[in-house]
Amino acid sequence: MTALETAAARPHRSASLQLGLVLVGLHVVVALLTLVWTPYDPGAMTGGRLEPPSLAHWVGTDRLGRDFLTQIMIGSRIALIVGSAAVAIGAAIGITLGMLAAFATRLPDDALAATLDILIAFPTLLIAMLVVAASDTASLGTAILALGIALSPIVARLTRILAKRVLLLDFITAARTSGTSWPGIVFRHVLPNIWPTLAVNLALQFGVAIIAEASLSYLGLGAPPPNASWGRLLQEAQGTVYTAPIGAIAPGLALVSLVIGVNLLADGLRDVGDPTRRRGA
Amino acid sequence: MPARFRFDEAAACSRLPASPVDTRTRPILSYVFRRLAILLLSLLIAAVVLFVLLRLLPGDPANALLGVGATEAQIAAARAQVGSDRPLVEQFVSFLSNLARFDLGTSFVSRADVLGEIGNRMSVTLPLTAFGFLLAIVIAVPLGIVAAVKADRWYGAAISVISQLGIAIPVFWVGILLVTAFAINLRLFPSGGFPLRGWEDPGEAAISLALPVVTVALVIAASLLRYVRSATQDVLGSDYLRTARALGASFSEALIRHGIRNGAVPVISILGIELATTFLGAVVVEKVFALPGLGSMLLLAIQQRDYPNVQGVLFISTLMVLLTGFAADLLQRVIDPRLRARGGRP
Amino acid sequence: MTRSLRRRTLLAAALLATATFVPAAVAQDFDPDATVRIGSLYEPQNLDNTAGAGQGINEAFNGNVYEALFQLTDAGTVEPRLVDSFERSDDGLTYTFKLKPGVTFHSGDPLTAADVKYSIERVTAEASKSSRKKSLSTIASIETPDDATVVVTLSARSISLPYNLSYVWIVNDAAADITAAEDGTGPYALAEWRRGSALALSRYDDYWGEAASNAEVVFQYFTDASALNNALLTNAVDIITSVQSPDSLAQFAGNPAFTVTEGASTTKELLAYNDRVAPFDNVKVRKALARAVDKARLLNSIWGEYGTLIGSFVPPTDPWYVDLTGVDPYDPESAKALLAEAGYPDGFEFTLDTPDYDPHPIVAQFLQAEFAKVGVKVNINIITANEWYTKIYQQHDFQATLQEHVNHRDIVFYGNPDFYWGYNNPDVVKLIADAEAAGTEEEQVAKLTEANRIIAEDAASNWLYLYPQIVVSTANVTGYPINGLNSQFFAYDIKKAR
Repeated sequence: MTALETAAARPHRSASLQLGLVLVGLHVVVALLTLVWTPYDPGAMTGGRLEPPSLAHWVGTDRLGRDFLTQIMIGSRIALIVGSAAVAIGAAIGITLGMLAAFATRLPDDALAATLDILIAFPTLLIAMLVVAASDTASLGTAILALGIALSPIVARLTRILAKRVLLLDFITAARTSGTSWPGIVFRHVLPNIWPTLAVNLALQFGVAIIAEASLSYLGLGAPPPNASWGRLLQEAQGTVYTAPIGAIAPGLALVSLVIGVNLLADGLRDVGDPTRRRGA
Repeated sequence: MPARFRFDEAAACSRLPASPVDTRTRPILSYVFRRLAILLLSLLIAAVVLFVLLRLLPGDPANALLGVGATEAQIAAARAQVGSDRPLVEQFVSFLSNLARFDLGTSFVSRADVLGEIGNRMSVTLPLTAFGFLLAIVIAVPLGIVAAVKADRWYGAAISVISQLGIAIPVFWVGILLVTAFAINLRLFPSGGFPLRGWEDPGEAAISLALPVVTVALVIAASLLRYVRSATQDVLGSDYLRTARALGASFSEALIRHGIRNGAVPVISILGIELATTFLGAVVVEKVFALPGLGSMLLLAIQQRDYPNVQGVLFISTLMVLLTGFAADLLQRVIDPRLRARGGRP
Repeated sequence: MTRSLRRRTLLAAALLATATFVPAAVAQDFDPDATVRIGSLYEPQNLDNTAGAGQGINEAFNGNVYEALFQLTDAGTVEPRLVDSFERSDDGLTYTFKLKPGVTFHSGDPLTAADVKYSIERVTAEASKSSRKKSLSTIASIETPDDATVVVTLSARSISLPYNLSYVWIVNDAAADITAAEDGTGPYALAEWRRGSALALSRYDDYWGEAASNAEVVFQYFTDASALNNALLTNAVDIITSVQSPDSLAQFAGNPAFTVTEGASTTKELLAYNDRVAPFDNVKVRKALARAVDKARLLNSIWGEYGTLIGSFVPPTDPWYVDLTGVDPYDPESAKALLAEAGYPDGFEFTLDTPDYDPHPIVAQFLQAEFAKVGVKVNINIITANEWYTKIYQQHDFQATLQEHVNHRDIVFYGNPDFYWGYNNPDVVKLIADAEAAGTEEEQVAKLTEANRIIAEDAASNWLYLYPQIVVSTANVTGYPINGLNSQFFAYDIKKAR
């Protein structure tokens, strides 16, 4: 959060940071709003089949006559939950593995590095597909877990690279010689130093998780109904894309706006967090 | 307090070698041997991961062989046939020895030879990946350099914005858009499918891969562009570029003579990973375009719990991914002036 | 709404009267060497219908590559195919079949009685995964007194033996493994199969009957309906065998470049309970849930103006059809009352195992909303087709599930207490067994009509609607089957204009 505060205090906030804040903020507000109010009950069949947008249903209705706007709004909440939970799981596993790899002696490090390289070589989606297949029943929790596990090698690899760089620095050597314990080094010196970089990357992975959820849904392996995840809305709308294109466009725009928002926010934080960043020639 | 590190995976990779061996001074040949040993080790690890993953899938693989109302004797026979009645260690040993002989078995569902089927599917997935990837490089490298060098111009900024958009749009959405525009409305390309007789008519096969290749390329290009841009930014701020200019070289001359070679190093290591991602990420694109590739084979196999097919596709793809990484490392070694100076020419 | 309902009724009536109708424009000048490309969603898993190949293999191979002793025509009649003549003994237990002379397999071998015996035994074998195995279980022995004669002896009378034999492919007994190859007697031979993509059949020149009116048929397989529609729109295929949504039809209906035909459907969407377990063992609960669903609205949600409402498992084309939609009409108030009578005044909760492909997930959500209104909570559990087969069909481990049943004359499933839904009414079991042992068709129809009324009264399952059977083609092809009974798609009469 410190980076955010610094950013806010800065008179010349970057445009990308501002836009990112607005987009993400909008989704957070909508997500919070759905906890207390939505235009309609999400399951209520209040309209006709695939009604076009109207005053009563601003984004129209789906095949069962349910309000699209309500579902897209709830989708914001689900996307934020999926994104943050998946990133949290990915970070927990990834940082632990990465730290272990950074601290390990040479041979296990090689082995671990090789393993990470294999795991990272499999795209998020593929690992997630396998995890979903390995679970007996599909649920939102399975999808989140799958995405979290799938993100972890990326986080682990980056943690390892960053931590190794910090470990080579003089003050660590000083801490080591002065007898600081390993956990002490990790929590007092390594993590605080790599955290800003790591946080920006985790923010990017948030977007990756949301897109991967949509792709999983497209492949029929995502969050099952009645979870109105954008991915599932997109998948359901695919068959009606010519008769009711709004059903496919609206959740798509919502998804793209949140992912862009998060990415811009990450870019902005990076630029703010790194005053030495040179832009262009 | 030490200086903060800025985030940049590409730059981070370039500054710190991917594995400790790179920092050591040793001839290229011994480097190759060492890298080969790591490759074999990785394959072994991959086999273990694969074995464990497949045992995690629910249900007995023998179920796939049984009809309705199977008797106890039939169940036992099926378990013996797939080997799921043997101890895990024994299963693992036979699994390894089969992999070593490239004996991937036959599908439970289609009863077809797994390796042969993978070969068929490769004739779609390999060209899709390779051409998609090449096109992505052709798009991303020049645009990425322009985005970095001309960041203060409108088109430099525009490129960055469009690449942001490209990263945020799901692959299948790009595919559906392209189908709607170029297949349904303009009738320039087929909307999907692959010719029955494959590459016997190369023209027809190539045309049916056109839109899928563009889809893959656009999506990969968007993320590649970011790496190229930041690698270029690093080169622009580097000392040797400044030195070269101080010594009288023109900006573009300095950029071309020194920048590209230096900037290429981190980009190549990312390329290795991206190529693997493209290869396996083709599953979504293959579904959009109804292509009979490796990805659709895997998706179906997972849905049908067709263990030999899942295992075979994953093993072969892992092998491809590792070989790609191997090639990328060697290439990087050859190109990188710093590593080469220490390691000597091959 | 009333207009569309009337439209449906009229259509159903018209179809009953003339089970088939030929698409308006008959190609006068057709190309006998044409390739007909058929788009389908049902790729076979392998090429053997006794090895779990799926419905796609019947679509591609029945009548095209393999023939049977009898054939179920697209109009719904059972006609001799490889049988020249047959006799049924007076006690109805012995059938003597004389085979058509001059029939050869694609490998060149002549058709003999031994091939027929081999082929029937393939289906009834212990390892066979054929879904039709059980209906042939009355066959006690098969004799082959000479090469052209097959004598089948039954342990009990079976009036539908010819019908049941219509899906027993006659395979050359010298062909060992037919999971990736074939050796049948049909008008086409397998030319090529690219898994995940397409299957090609080419005209068999030594066919015993009338040669096919096209030279090659290619079944192009798709995994989603949108891609399939796009293929027809862009002329990548000539025909799509079954349209999956009214929205895709909007692109073809009213466009002179395409022909849309609505045939007689046998595909039923149903909510099948596990009638063995509480609370679904209680007829009042089942009737309450039948009344809690506004099926007209559901059908409209899924199919717009198309489709038909049904009151039981029997479609209008089966001879034992009667309109039973009035037995448990939509009435949430009486549903609540029935639940209270059954001892569930506050409703209950159950898990609905829902296959992960269209339309089941959307139907499940509709049911969830409808049942919530009468206090019944539905937990939707999404499963794959493979899990459905293992968990529900094989192990009967479920409370309720959604499924589409495509077969023709399949009320007999309710006479089998071991079937996945576990409906066990001794009266129905007896009626269905008696119908099978009936001496005349009138008797059979009477018994099955009676059984039909009982299952409806018992609300044995919740029959949601009958799918429309819609085939769309480009305007230059004609002669294809429009009813697609039992998933068959005979390709040999298809003519493509020059």
